Amino acid sequence: MIELLLPALVIFLLLNLAAGMVRVARGPTAADRMLSALLFGSTTVAILLILAQWMNEPALRNVALLFVMLAAIVSLAFFGMPRDDADDGEQR
Amino acid sequence: MTDLAVDVLIGAGLLALAWQTIIGKSLFRGIVLFVVFGLTMALAWARMGAPDLALAEAAIGAGVTGALMLVAFRRLVRIRPEQSAQPALRRSRLALPVAVLAGSLVAVIGLAVVAVERDPAVAGQAVAQALTDSGLGNPITGVLLLYRNLDTLLEVAVLLAAFLAARTVFGEDEARSPTPSRREVPLVGALLAIIVPLTILIATHLLLAGSREPGGAFQAGAVLAASGVLLVLAGRLQPAAGLSSWPALGLTLGLMLFSLIGLAVMAFGAPLLALPGLWAVYLIETAMMLSIAMTLVLLFAGASGLRRGSP
Repeated sequence: MIELLLPALVIFLLLNLAAGMVRVARGPTAADRMLSALLFGSTTVAILLILAQWMNEPALRNVALLFVMLAAIVSLAFFGMPRDDADDGEQR
Repeated sequence: MTDLAVDVLIGAGLLALAWQTIIGKSLFRGIVLFVVFGLTMALAWARMGAPDLALAEAAIGAGVTGALMLVAFRRLVRIRPEQSAQPALRRSRLALPVAVLAGSLVAVIGLAVVAVERDPAVAGQAVAQALTDSGLGNPITGVLLLYRNLDTLLEVAVLLAAFLAARTVFGEDEARSPTPSRREVPLVGALLAIIVPLTILIATHLLLAGSREPGGAFQAGAVLAASGVLLVLAGRLQPAAGLSSWPALGLTLGLMLFSLIGLAVMAFGAPLLALPGLWAVYLIETAMMLSIAMTLVLLFAGASGLRRGSP
């Protein structure tokens, strides 16, 4: 049962990623793309944790740990930079 | 069956992401998709049972490179607003032939690899046996430091050479470095207070884990560099013009210590770079982690030195 449940969960989460990818690709604003990329990161953390259990590869939990940390860096690179207030709602 | 479904989903996702990243409707879209591509690539490595590569891909491919491109984009918006709105690439006439050539190259190599018959009595098993005796549980760290140690030493030298080349090309120009926003973004201080100590903890964990399980100096160095990048982004560390003593020491520590130990063993009759024991492995890995982190942070800051910035 559990052998079937874990891969099924991974597939479900991967399909979620595919849905999130549409938002990254279509935008329309920069913040939309960035937010869905961050959500993408959270979902991959979940996938990695399940993979670690399913493939019996505990080192993948370290990778998940790293993903959580990287989300903070990328979001700071996006928000913490000097920028004009004009480009907030702009489409790009 | 479910295995196959997972692999097909990841593979198809990677191809779609790669395509969306390069068609270049806008620069910013390409950058975000590149970060997402890096995360998915790390998933693919994880699925292939290569956590070492997943760690490196996530830390360098998605994290540090992604932050670097975002910072470059922000600067482009500031100095050339009209260029940042343009599509990233126009399709070249060469695109199709190059794509066909690259595709067939990958196909030929892939087919050749599949066709190779595995010889059971290759060096791998002897190495695995020898590594069990040496006490290093992680075969990748073992091979990197005990069998391919010259390669590893030269990799550290290449990083230093890359840093020197970057400094030579760009010269000393403080205006190029990422200057932080004048108004403090709320919550950044609190975020840093949590993230930076955690990053150091994770880097140390990866370094120590590197002797038994996936991890090691390169991954730990990239993680440590990520915390340095955060501090530079938030303006806690400011790029400085001159090369002061502690960044210089950090840059060269790995190379110097590795070469020193590698040469010193010759005095005891051992061959060049034959590491005398596990303590030497830990010492060299720690020094390499610091050097890798320092090189990446200085490359990111676009400066040859760092100084404390105002909080």
